[in-house]
Amino acid sequence: MMMTLDVCKVLADVREDAVVVCTMGAMNAFDKLPANPLTVACVPLMGGAASIGLGLALARTERKVFVVDGDASLLMELGGLVAVAQAAPANFFHFLVNNGIQFAGLGNLATPGHANVDFPALARAAGYRACYQFKTIEEFQAAIATILAGAAPAFIELVVGYDQPALGVANPAVEMTDARFTRMGDEIREIRAQLGVVEVFP
Amino acid sequence: MIEHAKHSVPASVFVSAFKRCGIDFITTVPDMLQIALHQALEDPVHGIRTINCTTEDQAIETAAGLYAGGRNAAVLVQNQGFYAGINSVRALGLDSGVPLFFIIGQFGREFANLGADPLQSKRRMVRMLEPLLDTLEIPYWRLEGPADSANIERAWHASRERKGPAALLVGHFIGF
Repeated sequence: MMMTLDVCKVLADVREDAVVVCTMGAMNAFDKLPANPLTVACVPLMGGAASIGLGLALARTERKVFVVDGDASLLMELGGLVAVAQAAPANFFHFLVNNGIQFAGLGNLATPGHANVDFPALARAAGYRACYQFKTIEEFQAAIATILAGAAPAFIELVVGYDQPALGVANPAVEMTDARFTRMGDEIREIRAQLGVVEVFP
Repeated sequence: MIEHAKHSVPASVFVSAFKRCGIDFITTVPDMLQIALHQALEDPVHGIRTINCTTEDQAIETAAGLYAGGRNAAVLVQNQGFYAGINSVRALGLDSGVPLFFIIGQFGREFANLGADPLQSKRRMVRMLEPLLDTLEIPYWRLEGPADSANIERAWHASRERKGPAALLVGHFIGF
């Protein structure tokens, strides 16, 4: 079964000058790959990735925006599918890394509806112009160039596996670092700098 | 008899202020008090695009994304919508230092309170807004009538200068 890191490696390979908004497990995966100044992690703000990506896509129509979302995260702001489809940015690619659980690799709690929610159908019904689902990395790799050359906003569900939970009797707690609360702003400011935005109030 | 013009600021005053501020996007879950402004902004001649969202969280997040991309947005919501979006305000406005210009309608304000202190409103919906903003350390300006019109731009500039949220509190229906 493909894993979140496999998916993010493919996206890193094809992104070129795309802005990437990642969250949840995808954020952890991108953190294991070479840093890119056009990446922003939506953290700690579960549910917000797609709308931040929508704003970026509307602001910078000349380049692609990848949103790399999680299943529980998308469910938290499911109406965002409608807002994206209504705004209809033609440079917006919404990747859903669906492992069916929350706190993947940490606590592995089942996501509501994990067994039966049809995410591409939801996106299609909301008005996304193209919707896909992939269950193997080979199929995804073979299709990604066509997807990126096709209609958008596009929704791509990637069904992935997950690691065993790390929390337990022997490892009962993890502490959040300060950076977890400051990185989103730092990365937004870096994206502005990379895009050449002139700061009126530096 | 309520003299509405005494408490209302016309939508055209907002649009002119938005243009002077360089605002080119509105993100919103529409507010009843701001219907005249929402309608005015539908006219493409103004060059200000409205993005309708299904929750206030999305309106805040989309405005932050627009900021990341170098555009200028105002977030139009009503008081209860602001209450609903607090975590996004915390994450993007306060922790991340993203300038967010809120225009918040005092939905539910009783006409008997017009011209008086909103903190004395008999409606919790109305009177809890300013104390909440104080708690969040978000500066705000009241818009209680035409004499307060300059507060539109004051709140906008405050959001940019402090790199965080700032709010304009619309006390009565915006005028047509």
